[in-house]
Amino acid sequence: MNFKGTLPTLILEALQQQASHGYRIAQRIKERSRGVLDFKEGSLYPALHKLENDGLLESYEGIENGRPRRYYRITQSGRAVLAKDRAEWRQLSRAVTTILREA
Amino acid sequence: MAELESWLKEATRCLSKDSATQVRTEIREHYDSAQEAVIRDGATAEEANRSAVSGLGDAKAANRQYRKVLLTSAEARILGEGNWEARAICSTPWLKWLLAALPAAAVLAAVALFRAGAVAVARTLFLGGIATGVFFAAPFLLPIYTPWRGRVFRVAKWAALIALFWLAFGPDALKWSWLLASCLWLQARNEWTRFSIRRKMPVAKWPKQLYL
Repeated sequence: MNFKGTLPTLILEALQQQASHGYRIAQRIKERSRGVLDFKEGSLYPALHKLENDGLLESYEGIENGRPRRYYRITQSGRAVLAKDRAEWRQLSRAVTTILREA
Repeated sequence: MAELESWLKEATRCLSKDSATQVRTEIREHYDSAQEAVIRDGATAEEANRSAVSGLGDAKAANRQYRKVLLTSAEARILGEGNWEARAICSTPWLKWLLAALPAAAVLAAVALFRAGAVAVARTLFLGGIATGVFFAAPFLLPIYTPWRGRVFRVAKWAALIALFWLAFGPDALKWSWLLASCLWLQARNEWTRFSIRRKMPVAKWPKQLYL
């Protein structure tokens, strides 16, 4: 399913509980959407860099299974943006649902 | 591995050396994890390789997205050149003071010439003094190194430039606008590149030239 434009919000949501690396973020989004939101993983990293440039994420070097990995964690500004995005999405979703019920 | 290498080659096209290294590292980490997961599910190494690369998607699309958020080689070159100029001036105190003194001297000389009646020469000297002041002296003397002040400085710089051109050519300014455009296209291109770099770097990492 095409979910262009919502990937940054989904990444913030995936990171709000705990820091993670790119591969796990991608898996978490796919699992939580029960496979509906399937995206090309090459597009995940540019989105991560953009969020980092905007100060919504921070990255650091970590180790997993003896291998160095780049981990990402959400910042305070990231949490604020996520809360705003969530509220906007709920409003939009309610509006669209109302219209589709009427149709 | 050849498929991954070809994907990486396409995805890192036109990126700076540092950006390309960063992309290669993160995509290799991702590829390793994806490949291991597929092998755990019972696939062969070749199937896992194909699945991990196809999961990355279109390399050209990834390249387009990377170029929007990471420095390209042209941007890295402009940053490098700017840093070289700033270092050369800052490490030579007399040059820094000369750049500050020249505009002031030009304006003073213009005032003296104006009083002496040489109005045309005085005007040219005055405009030259203001232009060198805005472009060369202000970056080293004014506290413009915050995002907001930098923005004000850039607006003032371009406004001063256009005003100076207008003053220099008077009613013929429009007729001579091709001259302004041909003189400033390089500056305008650098301005656009710096705008692009500012969007790609967190403010904390901005070098001084990005405020100008």
